[in-house]
Amino acid sequence: MASTYSHEWRAVCDKFNNAQDLSEVESRKDPENDPFRSKYKARELLREIYCSLKNFDVDSPAGSRAAKLGAVEYYLGVNHVETEELSAGEEHLMNCMTLLEKCSISPENVSLFIQVRNQLGILWAGRDEIEKAQGFLETAEAMYIRYMKEDGQPPMDLTEFFVAEEEALPQQERTKRFEMAYTHTLYYLAQVYKNLEQYEKAGGYCHSTLQRQLEFNQFLPLEWAINAATLSQYYITKTLYMEGRHCLSAASVIADLAGEVPSEAAAQESEAEAEKRDQLRQKRAEIARCWIKYCLNLLQDAKKLLEDNIGELDMDRQAELRATRLKEEEEKERGRKSAVLFGSSDTFDSICGLEEKVSCVFPVDFEEARAIFLVGQTYVNQAKEYFEMDGHVTDHIEILQDHSALFKALAFFEEDLERRCKMHKRRVDMMEPICKDLNAQYYLLVCRQLQFELAETYYEMMDLKLAVANKQDDLDAHTVKKFNHLCSSSTKFYQMFLDSVRSPEGKWPEKLEDEVLRPALVAKFRVARLHSRLISSSKTIQLENLNRSLECYNFVVQYCKDNPEAKSAIETELELSEEMVSLLPLKINRLQANLASSN
Amino acid sequence: MASVRVAVRVRPLIKREKEVSAKVIIHMEGSTTSIDCNKKHLSKGTPGTGLKDRGRQSFSYDFSYDSTDVGSPNFVPQEKVFKDLGCDVLEAAFDGYNACVFAYGQTGSGKSHTMMGSPGDFGLIPRICEGLFCQISEKSQGDVASFRTEVSYLEIYNEHVQDLLTTKKSPENGSGLKVREHPKDGPYVEDLSKHLVQNYKDIEKLLHAGKAKRTTSSTGMNDVSSRSHAIFTINFTQARFDAELPCEMVSKIHLVDLAGSERADATCATGARLKEGANINKSLVTLGIVISALGGDRGGSHKGKRKKQLFIPYRDSVLTWLLKDSLGGNSKTIMIATLSPADVNYSETLSTLHYANRAKNIFNKPTVNEDSSVTVIRKLQEEIVRLKRLVEKNNQALLSPQDLSKTLKVEEKLHKNEVKVLELTREWTNKWGETQNILKEETVALRKQGIGVVMDSKLPHLIGIDDDLLSTGTILYHLKEGRTLVGRDEASSNPDIVVHGAGLLEEHCVFENRDGVVTLIPQTGALCSVNRLETTQPCQLTQGAVIQLGRGTIFRFNHPKEAAHLREQRKCCAVGYISNKEKTHLQRNASSTSSKLSL
Repeated sequence: MASTYSHEWRAVCDKFNNAQDLSEVESRKDPENDPFRSKYKARELLREIYCSLKNFDVDSPAGSRAAKLGAVEYYLGVNHVETEELSAGEEHLMNCMTLLEKCSISPENVSLFIQVRNQLGILWAGRDEIEKAQGFLETAEAMYIRYMKEDGQPPMDLTEFFVAEEEALPQQERTKRFEMAYTHTLYYLAQVYKNLEQYEKAGGYCHSTLQRQLEFNQFLPLEWAINAATLSQYYITKTLYMEGRHCLSAASVIADLAGEVPSEAAAQESEAEAEKRDQLRQKRAEIARCWIKYCLNLLQDAKKLLEDNIGELDMDRQAELRATRLKEEEEKERGRKSAVLFGSSDTFDSICGLEEKVSCVFPVDFEEARAIFLVGQTYVNQAKEYFEMDGHVTDHIEILQDHSALFKALAFFEEDLERRCKMHKRRVDMMEPICKDLNAQYYLLVCRQLQFELAETYYEMMDLKLAVANKQDDLDAHTVKKFNHLCSSSTKFYQMFLDSVRSPEGKWPEKLEDEVLRPALVAKFRVARLHSRLISSSKTIQLENLNRSLECYNFVVQYCKDNPEAKSAIETELELSEEMVSLLPLKINRLQANLASSN
Repeated sequence: MASVRVAVRVRPLIKREKEVSAKVIIHMEGSTTSIDCNKKHLSKGTPGTGLKDRGRQSFSYDFSYDSTDVGSPNFVPQEKVFKDLGCDVLEAAFDGYNACVFAYGQTGSGKSHTMMGSPGDFGLIPRICEGLFCQISEKSQGDVASFRTEVSYLEIYNEHVQDLLTTKKSPENGSGLKVREHPKDGPYVEDLSKHLVQNYKDIEKLLHAGKAKRTTSSTGMNDVSSRSHAIFTINFTQARFDAELPCEMVSKIHLVDLAGSERADATCATGARLKEGANINKSLVTLGIVISALGGDRGGSHKGKRKKQLFIPYRDSVLTWLLKDSLGGNSKTIMIATLSPADVNYSETLSTLHYANRAKNIFNKPTVNEDSSVTVIRKLQEEIVRLKRLVEKNNQALLSPQDLSKTLKVEEKLHKNEVKVLELTREWTNKWGETQNILKEETVALRKQGIGVVMDSKLPHLIGIDDDLLSTGTILYHLKEGRTLVGRDEASSNPDIVVHGAGLLEEHCVFENRDGVVTLIPQTGALCSVNRLETTQPCQLTQGAVIQLGRGTIFRFNHPKEAAHLREQRKCCAVGYISNKEKTHLQRNASSTSSKLSL
């Protein structure tokens, strides 16, 4: 037919090219106040094409003509949707569907079959009719799978309906475009499942989307790497560390494809280099931060599995985990791995190499935990290079907090109490100076987090110091002093936290805000406990400490009495506080009696 | 005092609306605002709103201001809005805190009327500024403090920051001004111009100048300012002498004009949020947003389950970044949404109501990550048990039929002993933990005699005399009513007292306590001697007897009752606190004594 109507046909093809150009290229330059100018022009051209096609004689195979008309309907539909005219768009797309009913799936039209469903999926999802969207997209998915199974030759692209035969696309390009359309199907399905709250399915489809971008070389390295790194975080929530590690390794390797970071000197010379330098450094630092979370969560999850009811390493659980780990490890890994692999032939080895540097199974002992910790620490240092304190305050501190959390998780695995204590000391050393430097007016939340963590860390150290002293039979005056110092430091930071809740005039709020309710009451409760733990030889001071302790317990009890809705937030602590409020006076009375009798 | 207050305000019908005989669909009662659902829109299935409640939808805010009818007694004038919201802002500013006023609303919904007002009917901004300068002049007159007020004005358009008050031309292709964080000064915009002002006139001038510079665009649907956010910031410094020391307090008041359409958020590449509802994002560029939504915040829903700490490498939008100090920190935040009452604006109004409803949650407030208090709670529970025991004992003493003076004496003795215990606590630093523990078990009592320490117990007991020169501990074994087997720990019969040393049998001997009479029964072949006399026959023990088992294990036998009897005979006064609690043996057990120092 092309030959019969060669002149007219050429006109149609030119028009189509024009329309494509207007819609895809020109439209981007449209002014703000007339954003759809080029799209409207393109629409006119498409309408003309449609009329021309209708007027052509029907001597071509019925399917071919219908498919061509369908393609124009498709482009018109997309055009209307893009210009926010949904109903009209829907009509055109449905026309396309009707026309396609006359055809059977073939290399000429399979792309259209899939793409029109992609568009209808988007359209219906936009109308909150998510199941309808799902139906279209799942059909598209099934069509792709069937076509690839039954035929599999690179199908024609939609644009090829309107080009002269000699301008047909090379096979490679056809494959690329067809696969791209299907990649979009998967991506839309990912969103549909996400909206249906089927997160696992959604995660799987996101993963496939990434995989296919890589496979067909349709990605920007940095963007892809960040997406893969983000996906790793999803896997972490699902405790799927093998998948998480694979995403991160791939992210690191692909990010490197984006090239060398321009030197500082180069950045000073050109704006573009400066921008590139900043981008590369930032993205790589962000990937490093995803790695940190990977290491941290792996350690923390292992800790969760191994700890007994007072948070110490449980030997039985350790043995148990070791055994199950051995059993599951091999079979599971083999099964899962084939499903999720990223990478082309040239990147595959690097990705695997990176994976081998860190375990993806739960550590059971200190040595294993330490190996994971060290990897995490390396990434901490990498991330801090970009996220410096000056300019990136909150990011920098978040990284420090992760570093501290890494130490904390590692300390759990350390049997030697003295060394465990030193790890907590490292946490204090990294957080305390920052906490002092930070302006609470701007970073109140961060300040509070740091204060609370410091208080808890000092508390932990105090407990450890005592355990060490008890074991070693050498609790001398120096140790007592040290113990008291840790006690007071912990109290000090809880107090700082509590003070941050006060009004400018230093008054306690009658009602605590939701987000500080529990922390504030817990802090009071801890301070109560800390006061009663201070060691003193002076009875007067002992009495003072006990009275302060009682005061704090009383505060918790009274607050919950005045604000019954707070009870649920702090049940256990409240119960204990109530008991202490009834019991402590006895102790205090005795001490008072002592004091009286010894005077 | 971080708090967000949300207010909505509805204006009267305007001429244009009356001309098309629009109906009022907004109703307010107390703090509740309701909107009549528009049948026309319902049938069409407006995207993003769903087909929820037919009829009327209600929303609750902190304030609902009905300003539809000037004549109505319910009419809310500017003054009232200022009194409710503006005064807090001023107060916060003078207290040295930040404050933030957000305005949101469709063009023509009365936003500028509420914010700026008109001559004679001033809105929030002029009133706040007037209040500010009014208080400044008051306070300056008293020479209490001096003030400095600077303003800046910026616009965020497509995530790029532009200075609205600079005379310099912004770089052509530049990505706008950089936002950074300073540890002391908080988030800031690099190179943003600041302008000194003396009165509201100055501010007004700058507001107008900036407004003129704001990006202007109008697409048939979207108005001038709907696609960009604008932030007008008043930096306000108070300097005064506090106890001879210079002291400076800085606070910021942000006045934020939010983009009228969320479109601005959805189109920008970074910091974009997913659009609400079921929309599908078409382009793979948004894949990252989809992925990041997977890991989202869903972990928090399960109570008790640790929420995983993740890193999602998508930056906060510039707006969130810049207002961090206001959104999460110690600041007063007010959000005012303005509404048109007319049915013709149904969609926009409903979307505004939804937005305002969500406003409180928009401000993400990461709170303190609190460690599980499990150990702390455990230890406190232990202490409570101990204290309860003390109380019980007290009650028993009081309930006993003995005369009152006697019980008082017991009490007094009890106190005296506790005093001693406390004194010893100080001196016995070497055996700190163990001693404490034993003391707390309250089976034995320690008292000081001269420089020595005497251990008292009611039960007949053995004191271990260790031949190990380096040993400094003293072991006390109670001999309870019945048989106490002594032997090596490999014995199958589980000896009550485990001994190690040369010449000891697996089952070496038995101490039998029958009605206070203690007899040593050597097992066959066991080497036993009492007061250096070897014995193979049962031998009754007397106070002070020295018993040798095997070749080197020596005990001294004490029989407090007998001793007391003997002492009485010698007319000596009895001393010491006698516990009524029994315990078989108190072996040194370092591990269980850890950190029980609190009593």
